[in-house]
Amino acid sequence: MSGRLLQLAWRNLWRNPRRTFIAMAAIALGYTMLLFVACLMAGLRWQMIENGTRLVLSEIQVHAPGYYPSRSIQKTVGGGKGTDVSALLGAITADSRVYAAAPRVYGYGLASASHGSSAGVALMGVAPDQEPKVTALNTLIVKGSYLTRLMPNKIVVGDKLASVIGVEVGSEIVLLTQAADGSMGNDLYTIGGIFHTGLDVMDRNLVLMPLASLQELLHLTPARVHEVGIKLYDINEATAVAAALEARLSKTLPVQVSAWPELAPDLADYVQFNHGVTLVLFFIFFLLAVIGIMNTMLMAVFERTRELGMLMALGMRPVQVIGLIMAEAAGLAAGSLVLGGALGAPLLWYLQKHGLDLGGATGEVVSVAGVVVGHLWYGRQDFSAYAQAAVGLAVTALVSALYPAWRAAHFRPTEAIRKV
Amino acid sequence: MRWHKTTMGLLAGLLLLSLGQISHAADDQQARKIVDRVAQLFSGKSSIATLQMQISGENGQRDLTMKIWTQGENALVRITSPAKDAGTAILKISGDIWYYLPKVDRTIKAPSSMTMTSWMGSDFTLDDLVKESDLVRDYSLANSFEGKRGEVAVYEYTLTPKPGAVVVWGKIVLQVRQANLMPAWQGFYDEDGKLVRELTFSDYKTTGGRLMPSRLVMRSLDKPGQQTVIVYQAVAFDVPIGAETFSLPNLKR
Repeated sequence: MSGRLLQLAWRNLWRNPRRTFIAMAAIALGYTMLLFVACLMAGLRWQMIENGTRLVLSEIQVHAPGYYPSRSIQKTVGGGKGTDVSALLGAITADSRVYAAAPRVYGYGLASASHGSSAGVALMGVAPDQEPKVTALNTLIVKGSYLTRLMPNKIVVGDKLASVIGVEVGSEIVLLTQAADGSMGNDLYTIGGIFHTGLDVMDRNLVLMPLASLQELLHLTPARVHEVGIKLYDINEATAVAAALEARLSKTLPVQVSAWPELAPDLADYVQFNHGVTLVLFFIFFLLAVIGIMNTMLMAVFERTRELGMLMALGMRPVQVIGLIMAEAAGLAAGSLVLGGALGAPLLWYLQKHGLDLGGATGEVVSVAGVVVGHLWYGRQDFSAYAQAAVGLAVTALVSALYPAWRAAHFRPTEAIRKV
Repeated sequence: MRWHKTTMGLLAGLLLLSLGQISHAADDQQARKIVDRVAQLFSGKSSIATLQMQISGENGQRDLTMKIWTQGENALVRITSPAKDAGTAILKISGDIWYYLPKVDRTIKAPSSMTMTSWMGSDFTLDDLVKESDLVRDYSLANSFEGKRGEVAVYEYTLTPKPGAVVVWGKIVLQVRQANLMPAWQGFYDEDGKLVRELTFSDYKTTGGRLMPSRLVMRSLDKPGQQTVIVYQAVAFDVPIGAETFSLPNLKR
């Protein structure tokens, strides 16, 4: 395509600025809308992953091989003797992509209040100083306070569990479990705090206690932990970092390192599904855009029948006519994307910074597609989706221009120049 | 004459047929009686037993001794050694299970499902020890084999759960020694017909005026190398036990 043709196309576009501008505005607004949707969807995915990983799961977990998912109490990292836990944490945080790491111990047991009501519970022992750097359960305490190393017999339970067995902050509670040596581990604790996550399975079943206290209850030595939870600076690196850690740690200690998509396959599927929904929305919009752009270009072609006929009579070949119309469409698309991007940028910035207020004045917690998003739905920048939308729209514009261009190429100059 | 012979033959045939049915019914009765007797062997109307439990597996070996009181549906188990567990007591009364934990000096009520899970880390469940399930009530019996298993001549019964019975096993096979109608082997199968646990009886002795196997070995086949041996040291049957034995205050004692 010659430079002259492009120049001609550009002039043609601005010969009727109002028509061009209206067409551009339509496409630009469409692009802005796609940016808006992509940003909110990315925010939803991010919130899903946050909810899924930041409560107790964490982004990467280190286990003894075979511990996950059966969670046999015997399968501590390093086997029956355990391992030097602080050295292991040091080896993990030596990776510059790791933000923090925290050791954990798990068990199952019976929680029984002093007046006789009891419930089966999942016991999770965490390091009170380190765990809050990896997960955020400590921020969800609604009554009392989070664990502290100085009060080994103070434990934290979910609000549903507390109401099921009838305990308050300050109540005594007996935990009964089968310890690692087969004996009946049991001890008396005080409820130090109550949390509310909004997830029934946690609020109803989880008992959180200091790592050392659960190790003692389960008759595990301090060297024996079941898991190390890891938080990264960038969660998108989880799978890569997990593989790197497994390769490096396995040289001295048999371990299995898993990233969150492996630990929570449902969550990974959900995120995938959300991606899919975004693309379907894009596609529907592209289909609508095809009709709009084709209409604009057809109008532009028919309006200029005489002019095009003249050009052809002067010796412009049909291929060149097609090139001219396509170049006009490309110019229209490029202009629209710039305009749409300019309109969208402040909107995207606002969504990320301030969120979309769903609850309004009520401030109620709102969930979208089963994800608790709070009353503000925050957006998240997803530049690859923005680029996909841009490329998709450009391709759509060119495809839509094919038919008008083909029509123009088939004008008969002798008839065309006589059209008024 | 010919007519006579035919009639006689017919009569004899009918007689044999009905005799067969009677003996089949008697067989069934007999089987129920034997199985019921085996099931009641370790408890009777009431009993007081002292036993030793040796649990071995991947965590090494643990020895426990305990005393068990039973009367009808009620039972009390008190651990007497080792020191770490001594004083721990379990009371089963009107379908409820209570644990007394000396370490924290608290009595807690346990969900009844706990009777079906590993007890004190052994291969036995609490249900095995204090007989919550009633084999004859919950299972239908079939004579599945009669003859030698190894060196020993046995009757073998296959027990399948009756519809609606609340039981954990898909099938139980019980072998009883023909010589003394004592249990020899009991296999517990899951719903897929896979053998999950096997219980071997031996060392038949007369204790408390009753012949019974004094050594029981339970092996869990899904945990290789893990087994629990129970040795009955002293058993007294049908002794009067005061009702206060099966009470919460006595649990703490």
